[in-house]
Amino acid sequence: MNNRNRTITRRVFLRRSASGAGWLALGGVSLAGAAQRNANPFAYDLERVSKTDPKLVRYEQAGRFVCPWPGPRRLAVGPEDHLYIAARKGVTVLDGEGRRLQEIALAAPARCVAVAADGTVYAGLRDHVEVFDPKGRRLAAWESPGRKVWLTGLAVADKDVFVADAGNRVVLDYGVSGKLAGRIGEKNKERNIPGLIVPSPYLDVKMGPDGLLRVNNPGRHLVEVYTANGDLESSWGKATAAIEGFCGCCNPVGLAVLPDGRYVTCEKGLPRVKIYSAQGVFESVVAGPESFPENARAGALQDASDGLLGGLDAAVDSQGRIYVLDLVAADVRMMRAKA
Amino acid sequence: MSDRSTSLTGQFSNPGAIPRRQFLRDGARAAALTGLGGLLGLAAGRSTRAGTVWQIDPQKCIRCGNCATHCVLEQSAVKCVHAYAICGYCQLCTGFFEPAPNDLNTGAENCLCPTAAIKRAFVEDPYYEYTIDEGLCIGCAKCVEGCNRFGNGSLFLQVRHDRCLNCNECAISKVCAGDAFRRVPSEHPYLLKTMSH
Repeated sequence: MNNRNRTITRRVFLRRSASGAGWLALGGVSLAGAAQRNANPFAYDLERVSKTDPKLVRYEQAGRFVCPWPGPRRLAVGPEDHLYIAARKGVTVLDGEGRRLQEIALAAPARCVAVAADGTVYAGLRDHVEVFDPKGRRLAAWESPGRKVWLTGLAVADKDVFVADAGNRVVLDYGVSGKLAGRIGEKNKERNIPGLIVPSPYLDVKMGPDGLLRVNNPGRHLVEVYTANGDLESSWGKATAAIEGFCGCCNPVGLAVLPDGRYVTCEKGLPRVKIYSAQGVFESVVAGPESFPENARAGALQDASDGLLGGLDAAVDSQGRIYVLDLVAADVRMMRAKA
Repeated sequence: MSDRSTSLTGQFSNPGAIPRRQFLRDGARAAALTGLGGLLGLAAGRSTRAGTVWQIDPQKCIRCGNCATHCVLEQSAVKCVHAYAICGYCQLCTGFFEPAPNDLNTGAENCLCPTAAIKRAFVEDPYYEYTIDEGLCIGCAKCVEGCNRFGNGSLFLQVRHDRCLNCNECAISKVCAGDAFRRVPSEHPYLLKTMSH
């Protein structure tokens, strides 16, 4: 009881307070000094461009699930809004909630996939395309189109299958029977085509609702629109780390087209997914770099395959929901427009 | 026991005993010999490691900046090197330009390298070649980070053996945040990046 009633003088109180504050300040200075010593004076500063204005984000995550197989590369939406994921062991088919419906095992990693309206599955391996019926039975293995082939994108139309060959910087036009019918995007002065620049293996091709092909030209930071005959109709895009453009050396790396013809673009380095109008005007953000911390670090920390680990891909279902594939985290997010 | 007796002070008086001075002298001599033996052993140990040199594993390097600041040399023996086979020869090279450059020209405000050690040369539209001036490079890895973050990772750090003193305990290896320093056989002193495809 005596101890409880013990009091200290104001002078002692002030002296002790001053002493305590002094020690605290000393500790703070010491910690700050340690942090300063550990800071990298040569840090590559992306902080300013890594933050997304929340007002620009007009989508929210409605679901997220892990890819069944490791090493996912591309995804596509097929009939009944089923998801098809090209991965290291083959193609997996999932429903919109991520439940596994079917597996198509392949002898080599699948690098891209597309699905026809009748459910026929086209899987792009490194140097050729394999075709499967809706039940996963192999129908055909097309002949490799040549040397240095590195297939990274597929799109299917009524009578054609378009195959993006990053190794040779060209989109190949195949008939559904597997016969090569044409080459799209190669440099051609007479046709006023500047040519595709693909520094890393991320060439994509998508078919729009207007029957025109959308092809990314990452080295030029452009999205190009071609007819099925290979005529360049238009292009848009600009190189900038700002949100309205495409960042880094070579973006975008993935494309999707919304039912109304607007674009979904995916970037690597600063992993972000954005929406552009049908004319290529920036509209909004689906998900910014904050949503993909693992992916943002991938290039910096795990370059075992020389920068090929990063990146995103996207696909759109019939309801306009956007599925975003994170190649590093090996998961899929379902994004829907905010109410 | 017969020649051993007790003095008045109660201490042993032993004619065969060693005087304290001699004991200390012998002790010091023994310690010196032990030290010399240790040094010789250390030298022998070093000679067994003479066939190795320090090198950076580019797959482990996390571009922490310590190579530029911790080498015992005034200018680090670690330099950026370029695997041209992997390079995309990009017009907007993220190893050369700041993340958000004002323009794609060689103005200092647009360039990433703090010592202007990367040279940019036009090849053909839209390709550019980038070379490292090792005399200017301080091994800070800023360009390496930019190249790896966005590009193919063709820029990477290596210990250059025309400068490295091959210290027994490399000062950078002690602080390497990625544990990327290791000894490699001197017949193969470089760990190079190659194309994975």
